[in-house]
Parts: sequence; C-alpha cells; structure tokens
Amino acid sequence: MEVHRFEKIWTAAALLLIVGFISTIVYGAVGPGVTMVEDDGGTTDQADVSAALADELDWSQVENFEAPTPKAQHVSGDKYEAYVVTKQFAFQPGTGQPLRVPAGSTVTLYVTSPDVLHGFEMVGTNVNLIIMPGQISEITVEFDEPGTYSMVCSEYCGAAHHVMEGRVEVVPQSQFDSTEG
Amino acid sequence: MSTDADDGTVREIGHDEFDPVGTAALIVVYFIILVVMWVFMYFVEFLGRGPTVVG
Repeated sequence: MEVHRFEKIWTAAALLLIVGFISTIVYGAVGPGVTMVEDDGGTTDQADVSAALADELDWSQVENFEAPTPKAQHVSGDKYEAYVVTKQFAFQPGTGQPLRVPAGSTVTLYVTSPDVLHGFEMVGTNVNLIIMPGQISEITVEFDEPGTYSMVCSEYCGAAHHVMEGRVEVVPQSQFDSTEG
Repeated sequence: MSTDADDGTVREIGHDEFDPVGTAALIVVYFIILVVMWVFMYFVEFLGRGPTVVG
C-alpha cells in the first residue's frame, strides 16, 4: 500500500500525541501523587449514626466513625482527619459551622449519611464523593493554599436538595491552632 | 481518467506529487492548539490548582 508522506507524518504525530497524553497522566500520578478515590472507607450502622446525631447515642459507640467536629483532628505531622455527616438537608460540619482545615496539610475526610444518598462536592475542585447510608466514603486531600470552598450536595437527596450546602475553610496554620474545637 | 484536452483536465499528477500544503498547515495549527490546550488544562488548571486528591 502506498502511503503519502503527509500521512506518515500525521500518523507519527498522532501516536506521539497519545504517548504525550499518557506520559502527562503518569507524571501526575508519580509526581504530585494524584490518585483515584478507593472504596476502602468501610461501613457503619446508619441507625447508630442517626441516633448519635440525635444525642441518643455516644459517638464512641458508632462503629468506624467519630464525632463530626468543625475543626479537623490532628493525626501526625501535617496529617489531619475530619468526619462529616451528610443529612437531609445539611452538612455537619459545613452548613451550621464551616469545616476548618489548616493550609499546607493533608486531610483525610470520612463522610457518611444517616438517611439517604447524598453527594459531597467541593465546588470547582476534584473533591467529589457519593455518600451512601451505611457506607463511609474516604478521600485524602492536600490543601496547599488558604481559601474558602463551597460544599454542595451533588446527588439528588430530596425536596430541599438544591439548598443543601456548606463551607470548607482552609486557614493558615497559626489561625487554625488558635481556634477552639 | 482521460487526458483529452476537451474534458477539462489541465495537468495530471501522481499520488506522491499531490501535496495539500494548505490542509497540512491547517492541521498543524489545530495540532498546536490541541497540545497547548492540553498542557494548560492538565498542568495549570488540574495540577496547579488545589486541593489535590491524593487518596
């Protein structure tokens, strides 16, 4: 088969482009460490989460889940963790009080729902989870710069789904350390 | 194809002699736009902006 010179160049360029696409994604995974969200958050009892929210049960008795506090809990070094409950139609923390995390930290978020399917999306970012009752969705996120993000419910959860929103505040470390909670 | 003068054929060229330079130039421009947009989207918008999902 006779292949035109221009077609040979085009074929080579197109292959190079594909190699380039794959290389950049490999770089993103190896260098900055971008990964997919895994399903290793585990499970909990949604009735227990519901009871703990209503102060009928202590959070320590809820399996695999801890009390949702507005301030992320320090684990070690620059690692923090935060527990968030999504419910009809609010984030706790998030809606009443913002979830507060320090800048320059790596935060693991554990999110669950006591009632129906919800979403946990930080608007304009790649942080987006589906929250299922009885399941704990886990995501680890690096927050480099201070700033405020909106969190919205990204899965239809009922009549007031469209007003279900909250805030994540990324504050400088010194300010984070001086806040209560 | 007939080479008779009365069918309108001015000049007949072979497969390799036909060089659509204009089309090639247009494709090169599209290609450059594509590469620049990919680099911008991946490195500036995706990796450059936080927060970054690492697990």
